[in-house]
Amino acid sequence: MRLLLPALALACALPALPQELPAAASSVPSGEAGISGFVDLGYRWVGTGGSFNTYRSVVDLGSGPKLLGTEFTISDPKHRLFDSVTVRAYNWGDDPYATLHVDVRRHKLYDFSADYRNIAYYSNLPSFADPRLSGGVTLNEQSLDTRQRMGSYQLTLLPESWLVPYLVYDRNSSTGNGVATFVSNDDEFPVGSIITNSTNNYRGGARIEQRRFHVTLEQGGTTFRDGQQLGMAAGSGTNYGNSFSAVLGQKLDLTSLSQAYRVRGDSIYTKALLTANIASWFDLYGQFLFSQPRSTVNYQQFDSGNQILLSQLIFYTGEQSIASAVSKLPHTTGSLGAELRPFRQLRLLPSWFTDRMHTSSSDVNAQTLTGTSLASGPATINSLLSNKLVNNYNQAELSAMLEVVPKVTLRAGYRYVWGNASDVILPVAELAAVETGTVRRNVALAGIAYRPLTKVSLNADFEDGVSTGSYFRTSLYNYQKGRVRGRYQVTPSLSLAASVSVLNNNNPNAGLHYDYLSHQETASFLFAPAGGKRWDFQGSYTRSTLRSEITYLDPAYERPGISFYRDNSHVATGYFDANLPVQKTRIVKLSLGGSLYMSSGSNPTHFYQPLARISMPVNKTLAWVSEWRYYGFEENFYGYQAFRTQMVTTGMRLTK
Amino acid sequence: MNRLLAFAILIPLTAGTAALAQSGGAQPAKTKKAAAPAAAPVAYVGSEVCGTCHEDVAKDFARNPHHDVETGDKHGGPNWTGKACESCHGPGGKHVESLSAADIRNPLKLTAAQVTSTCLTCHLNRPTQVGRIESAHAHNSVACTSCHSVHAHGPNGLVARKPAEVNALCAGCHTDVMARFQLPFKHKVTENTMTCVDCHNPHGGVKPGQMQMASANEPGCMKCHGDKRGPFTFEHAAVREEGCNGCHEPHGSSNAKMLVRQEVRLVCLECHANLPQPQPNATARVTGVVPPAFHDLTSARYRNCTVCHQKIHGSHVDRNLLR
Repeated sequence: MRLLLPALALACALPALPQELPAAASSVPSGEAGISGFVDLGYRWVGTGGSFNTYRSVVDLGSGPKLLGTEFTISDPKHRLFDSVTVRAYNWGDDPYATLHVDVRRHKLYDFSADYRNIAYYSNLPSFADPRLSGGVTLNEQSLDTRQRMGSYQLTLLPESWLVPYLVYDRNSSTGNGVATFVSNDDEFPVGSIITNSTNNYRGGARIEQRRFHVTLEQGGTTFRDGQQLGMAAGSGTNYGNSFSAVLGQKLDLTSLSQAYRVRGDSIYTKALLTANIASWFDLYGQFLFSQPRSTVNYQQFDSGNQILLSQLIFYTGEQSIASAVSKLPHTTGSLGAELRPFRQLRLLPSWFTDRMHTSSSDVNAQTLTGTSLASGPATINSLLSNKLVNNYNQAELSAMLEVVPKVTLRAGYRYVWGNASDVILPVAELAAVETGTVRRNVALAGIAYRPLTKVSLNADFEDGVSTGSYFRTSLYNYQKGRVRGRYQVTPSLSLAASVSVLNNNNPNAGLHYDYLSHQETASFLFAPAGGKRWDFQGSYTRSTLRSEITYLDPAYERPGISFYRDNSHVATGYFDANLPVQKTRIVKLSLGGSLYMSSGSNPTHFYQPLARISMPVNKTLAWVSEWRYYGFEENFYGYQAFRTQMVTTGMRLTK
Repeated sequence: MNRLLAFAILIPLTAGTAALAQSGGAQPAKTKKAAAPAAAPVAYVGSEVCGTCHEDVAKDFARNPHHDVETGDKHGGPNWTGKACESCHGPGGKHVESLSAADIRNPLKLTAAQVTSTCLTCHLNRPTQVGRIESAHAHNSVACTSCHSVHAHGPNGLVARKPAEVNALCAGCHTDVMARFQLPFKHKVTENTMTCVDCHNPHGGVKPGQMQMASANEPGCMKCHGDKRGPFTFEHAAVREEGCNGCHEPHGSSNAKMLVRQEVRLVCLECHANLPQPQPNATARVTGVVPPAFHDLTSARYRNCTVCHQKIHGSHVDRNLLR
């Protein structure tokens, strides 16, 4: 059952071609010298009809030669520098997601792992900028074409000993371009944007693992850079922005812009974890986490055109704005918990958790307007603002788990959540104000785990929360949350699983009337006669419904309205696998399947992803692999964003 | 007052439990231990004997990290040198004599708590155990062996490491969550560029949803989305107080950018609604209700608030999050 259900899940996951095919390399080092593994090389053809921008925003796979995947292990039986080196790489060759993972280890001496991912993030959906396409808004506003590169490198020394030091370096960077908005006083202008930011994270620590206790101590730090720039070169034309109407008889425009954010950040952080076995019936654990990120900003903006400062009704043709800001965020988290076993059948689980953060910042801004309509010439506007945001969250819980009989475990508990938050910008003006909020919530917890037979299991969880305060209108307030999950292996060949989950949340307070209900039902099966030796068939079906209603105020007319959101969706996946023996030693593997998603409600959408795949051995070490995929995407309200894509990939797998 | 009430309930219960355990609760175990010498001698046969019948398992086991139990080449926990099989399955003497499956401990037939307890004999004091007790897995009696293959002869070795295998393992139970990844706007999980454990800690954690944390105590989302991390000169309070889930559905959505509503304005206006104003009573007070200016939502310019309020996750230079 345990092995079958993950296999069933593969059908739901529909992973990419290389990883679905059986891996030639064992995850366990063979102990023999040399290299074992496989490499998949191929070529992909992609043909898209409809909106290519939407295709790129959703799928983004491209044509061309590809390193579809490789996995190999190098083993050294003499264990000189390493026992084994394991390498996995997928989707190289200008694909939107390329990954590389390397593990090197020497038993009891070190473990080294490196993980690198390069993910393309493309977003250009006209309906996002202007859902009604009613004109006035440039439709690629807020579009992005970036690459995000993430690397993580970890060295663990003496991994089997009682003292385990480790060092980690993570890097995360994003580069690319897009279209952003330069917002002036009564108009906003779409302009090009260069996006570049990076975060480096260094940390080191040690784990002390003893029979009765464990302590982990870690110290780390980060550096951050953000150099986003928005620009429009002088002489490149006139940008009239999104506003068509004249202001006081004058049309506003932008003729040049240079806007640069220079953000630098750093932080230090400390982590301490503890587990202890105080007595045979008493386990204790706790953690203390502290971080203090800081940011410093030097912002510069130069723009020209015909602009207006609405608050003072001053027209101007040139603007220079320079801002310096600094902010810091001390953030402390702590938790303490225990497991008490007074009797074999009873476990008591008290726990406490606190999370406290406090942002404080200040900003100095000097704005100079030139070419003004004022007789006195240039106008200078200086401002000094400060911001304080406090958020304190606390939670205490006590649960009891009772094994009523060996097949039934009951759970009951109580959780109390309390906290306060405030957000103040000084001096108070414009949109921002002084806001404070509190959260108080009492939650009853219950659950049951029932396992009448080894082939049958049933779990149920339930939470009922009552609040007397929440931070936001859509926060959890008075809610009931439940989940039931069951699994049944009917025969050795057939297994079934099903789950139901429900969340009902409402806030009856005057002016809110928030009513939210979502539920999701899932059923899945796997039929694999003879352990799937010749063929298997697996599938799942999920139905989910979401209904949300809340009152709000139309800002223009101060008129109350109701925001309705409905989403009724069906997701089905199916996957048929067959192993067809062509000769005694040759087996052709055939896979057919796919997924479909159909929804109705506030944003009716259809998304189909069928596929067919074949793997045919040519000889002992070479196999021909091919795949066909189809992507069909359609939104009822935004027909112009539909696309249909045929994709054929063919290649060879070399196995050693 | 409520805080005091909570402690008033917790402390006596904890203390009472401890007292009960000291006085009588732990006694059965002591009695059992004391009675053990009087009972028939426990017959351990050693792993070599087990391997004569269970050859495949023994062969795989010899190449997995648990083999350190056999060689005594480990730290912590009881000493099971030469008896690794029996460290989990119990003494095998009777089973060897009868060859009956009924005479050996089979973890498949144990309760989750019993299986976990067996594993924790050695693995109790490890970093992975911090927060384990509070995890949904622990609450739902999900045993260690639901994910870990102790003999390492399963398809994933001791535990799944490859992204496709990790995701498949999680989806074995969380089919409903995996279904969300079939929606058009989602994280790249079905592509196996990301795994469930990039965001969730399967061993547990103190954050809801067993969320991973980055840089000690920052939300795990910031591990990849570093530009949203701040601190910002002008914070969007909802990001700090409600988290990313307030506006985004990270498992998948039919709405662009995984938003929880089909139009950006609705995501914003459901909080920024100027209601209730004035506050009808103290308990109904919520934040974020300041009016979002007097924009005419019938105009295309105002239907997507983030066209102008583009620094919606927090701004370094503008209090209205315009730049």
